[in-house]
Amino acid sequence: MNHPPLAPSIASQLAGVFDLAWPETLLVLVACVLFLGATFRSNRHFWGGIALAALVLAGGLLWSTVQQRPVRPPDGVLPLSFDAFAVFIKVVALVGGVVLVLFSWDEVSDALAAEYYACLLIIIAGLMLTGAANDLVVLFLALELISIPTYVILYLQRTDRAAQEAAVKYFLLSVFSTAILLFGFSYLYGLSGTTNLVSMVDALTHTAETDAGRLPLLPVLALVALVMVVAGLGFKITAVPFHFYAPDVYEGTSLTSAALLAFVPKVAGFVSFFRLLDFILPQRGPTPGLALGAQATILFWILATMTMTVGNILALLQDNLKRLLAYSSVAHAGYMLIGLAVAPKLAGQDVVGGVEAILFYLVSYGAMTIGAFAVLAYLSTPEHPVDTVDDLAGISRSHPGIALLMALFLFSLIGMPMTAGFLGKFFLFFGALAVPVDQARLFYGLVLIGALNAAVGAWYYLRIIAAMYLRTPIRPIEKPRAWPNLVALWICASLTLGLGIYPQPLVKATRTAVGGTANQVSQREGENVLPAVAAND
Amino acid sequence: MDLPRLEVLGLIVLPLIGAVLVAAAGARRREEVRWIGLGTALVSLVLSMHLAAQFMHIERTPADAKRLTFQPHFVPGSPGTFRDPGVGLDRTDQHGTSWTLLDLGQGAVQFYVGLDGLNIWLVVLTAVLSVSAVLISWNVIEERVNEFYAWLLALQTAMMGIFLAFDIVLFYVFFEFSLVPLFFLIGIWGGPERRHAAGKFFIYTIAGSLIALLGLISIVLACKSGNELTFSIPRLVELVQQRVAFSAEERAYWTAVPSFGEIVRVWLGRLRPEEAPERWGGVMFWVFIALSAGFAVKVPLIPLHTWLPLAHVEAPTAGSVLLAGVLLKVGAYGFLRLCVPLAPDASLAVGLPLINMLAAIGIIYGALCSYAQDDIKKLVAYSSVSHLGMCMLGLFALNAAGLAGGLMQMINHGLSTGALFLLVGMLYERYHTRKISDYGGMSTRLPLLGAFMVFVCLTSVGLPGLNGFIGEALILFGSFEQQYVTSQQFPWFALAGAAGMVLGAWYLFTMLQRVFFGELKEPVVVGHHSHEPIRDLNPRELCAIVPIMVLCLVIGVYPQPMLDTIRPDLETVSRIVDKAREREVERAQRQAPVDLAAKRQEEQP
Repeated sequence: MNHPPLAPSIASQLAGVFDLAWPETLLVLVACVLFLGATFRSNRHFWGGIALAALVLAGGLLWSTVQQRPVRPPDGVLPLSFDAFAVFIKVVALVGGVVLVLFSWDEVSDALAAEYYACLLIIIAGLMLTGAANDLVVLFLALELISIPTYVILYLQRTDRAAQEAAVKYFLLSVFSTAILLFGFSYLYGLSGTTNLVSMVDALTHTAETDAGRLPLLPVLALVALVMVVAGLGFKITAVPFHFYAPDVYEGTSLTSAALLAFVPKVAGFVSFFRLLDFILPQRGPTPGLALGAQATILFWILATMTMTVGNILALLQDNLKRLLAYSSVAHAGYMLIGLAVAPKLAGQDVVGGVEAILFYLVSYGAMTIGAFAVLAYLSTPEHPVDTVDDLAGISRSHPGIALLMALFLFSLIGMPMTAGFLGKFFLFFGALAVPVDQARLFYGLVLIGALNAAVGAWYYLRIIAAMYLRTPIRPIEKPRAWPNLVALWICASLTLGLGIYPQPLVKATRTAVGGTANQVSQREGENVLPAVAAND
Repeated sequence: MDLPRLEVLGLIVLPLIGAVLVAAAGARRREEVRWIGLGTALVSLVLSMHLAAQFMHIERTPADAKRLTFQPHFVPGSPGTFRDPGVGLDRTDQHGTSWTLLDLGQGAVQFYVGLDGLNIWLVVLTAVLSVSAVLISWNVIEERVNEFYAWLLALQTAMMGIFLAFDIVLFYVFFEFSLVPLFFLIGIWGGPERRHAAGKFFIYTIAGSLIALLGLISIVLACKSGNELTFSIPRLVELVQQRVAFSAEERAYWTAVPSFGEIVRVWLGRLRPEEAPERWGGVMFWVFIALSAGFAVKVPLIPLHTWLPLAHVEAPTAGSVLLAGVLLKVGAYGFLRLCVPLAPDASLAVGLPLINMLAAIGIIYGALCSYAQDDIKKLVAYSSVSHLGMCMLGLFALNAAGLAGGLMQMINHGLSTGALFLLVGMLYERYHTRKISDYGGMSTRLPLLGAFMVFVCLTSVGLPGLNGFIGEALILFGSFEQQYVTSQQFPWFALAGAAGMVLGAWYLFTMLQRVFFGELKEPVVVGHHSHEPIRDLNPRELCAIVPIMVLCLVIGVYPQPMLDTIRPDLETVSRIVDKAREREVERAQRQAPVDLAAKRQEEQP
């Protein structure tokens, strides 16, 4: 196996790494201050303001880093990369963080605000690091940086029996999935002899040439690694059959935590997939090496089909809004998995590829799902939580504006045109149908299943819209206006609508993000992969 | 930008602006809201009339007589330019505009709208019926008035957009967006079963249109080559023609159509698709199936029609008028604009037998159902199933007469069924019942309404001299010609169409006789208007109904200008189909050369 030349200059080379992680470092430091400060002062406005300031400052730091350092593809040495993809994920994480802070503003109590925001900041830092990770260990740590504060948050806001059950369930299953993921990582390390992702992919794609005769079991080991990694990350993206916790946990926790759970782990899971599964891209070089393009495609095909079908059908049966949104998030993970199944087949093609489609979908999904949770939070009071579909009956009469926003989010979740959700699905389907003809039949089936699922999904979202608009109020909802929540709502709504009508900026950003990895492929292999960005200019 | 282009843009944008204004006006300002709605609808009407007048004066070029694709006029943002990757120079885009919505690198989704012979009269129809829809709702809608008019105007934008769009994604966006306003119109202001009706309507249509989306994406991707990716409908139609003419392999790849028996055998597992790749994998076949799934629900063709009676009966009058008058045409228009030009070979091989059969069954079944109804609105709703069957029968005769008849029938059915729903709505407004058995001899009580009803029924039945006759006669010619002359079979389909016309007279006149003639039987008036005496049509109602009736008469007496405007583009479609016919003959010869040779020998003793 070819080890990258590390030994002599390891210290000097690693010296620059911290420069790449200033925003994350800042967030974690502020989180520490918040943890300490919580003992002195309990005021949610104060701590919320600090968290918001920290996120904005981190954004500023990120911006200045982008100005100073050229964005370049990950190399075989540094554990962190600073490519366009990483920057994209960092920006998504920061914007998501701002929305979540605003959303939680009036939802957390004064006493727990500091701890809550500290955990939130660490989670955002973890998400940003996941996007930048170029090393198995860093990736693992980044994912843990997301998971561990999540356990705390789940337990922080509610302490009743349901919340305890939710927290324990999430904790145990999460730890279990982490172990599986780590098991898969160990196989990857064993196969390649390195933890650096770029070197790992290099090693894996060149192994079989020399060692295929000697070590016929290597592909099997690679397959074990693949399955383990998919199982471990499948928990984070709530892929069936790793989704069981979602409805119970969402139901048992607060609306803010549910929104957090619906968004952050999903982004983290898919980002880890992109970073890790570079090794399955079969079109990479003349020899496939240990690339598992064919097997991975089948695996994701099955996973996508199961996930969207089970998610949608179970969502049909729900009356509780949180459970409904939980199953809906499962279903949307299924749609996004279509992109993952397609991605290996589309490498090097310059239409909308699977990965771009997933990135677009992740952003729009985040906006509409957090938005939907924020609407529920806006309408809920401690005495009268909005729990079931019936609680939303007739909202359009008492809160016309809020009902309109909720309808926008729900129509976007259905995938109606002029919302971000439509374009997300459009790009996914477009990518799946663009697969070269010789492998296409498999994907025609997948896309057809996706389309039928979207139609099934329309039914339960439509039920909520029908309750809001077509029914008379059952009980009046009186609540003072929560401005930060409204701001969060408006950010989500403008993203949902704006991306639906003028998606060009985000499409361009996703293409740049993925184009970065395409370029790095071409540099590594010395072959000319068609750069999507160049065609765009 | 010159005036007509601005007007085309105005047709889409103005109702949307009106909708926003109305929504912002608040629920209290009812009068203002109504007047804004009426004003917007009237301005749209004027714009569409002016556009139609200008469109009729466009000189036809000789090139038009050979075109194998559509050529929209009055395109805002035209001419577009693009960088030709082969030459490296900017070129004028014949089939596009400079208004790009989403750039995907090699190609772009554009805001490509315009007018041609296929859509100009449908746009006018939409504008006319929108005015009537606003007027008829004036006093009926008293709750949430501003929301009602906002959704109504949004619906108008969506309908205009569907007809005007020349970009395939833009078309789909408007196509699916039209569901949202109608869902609310039916669901909020509808009858007692409104929630069920709205939900059923939405789910049926969205399921079909999602499958149609797959077909649209497939055709775009199938036409993608090298550096070109286009979403423009005219360009796609042109590309399909070029591809099919390119080489024999390419032709087989596009046009291969499995026979029904083969599909069943593959489905049963008796035949592996790999064994007959040249007969199985045709792009057009799958595109046709996918697009048909979306449009057949909308038309609706017979097994997929069950949402329609429910939605029609429950919808408020304005909703019924627009649903029957315009939105049902969207399905037929989709077949005409997309399905047939993009998949001509499959339309011939599969669509012709399949859709004609479904249409023929629909004509008879709809008419019989119609006769059995006791609810006037339901009667009119089922008559739409029957009449739209007629329309599809004409379109899928796939010859010049049939296509012209189909398109005329779309417009005529829009006018006469729109008018029928308006009159039924006016009757309901007075007595709050729609049961035929509650009424009797109403023309003595409401002479004007009765007279109008007789007139509208006559147009719907197809009395010569009124509009219905033109379309239906052309459809029967076309269908007869196709089956008897071209295919040399017994003309079953034309027979079903003729039977449909007779049955149409039967159920409509039966209804007229029971409701308006005979012994006077006035229903007991319940509801909040009971203190007012029942009066005949007021000026507002006359304004809503009279223009439609005048149009019916004008089209019936002098249809030539209209037929002249639609002819060039219909000829384009029929030319495309004729090319496909030639290919079909060629395929048949290749597959069974021996039989044909033997046949020829028999013919020449």
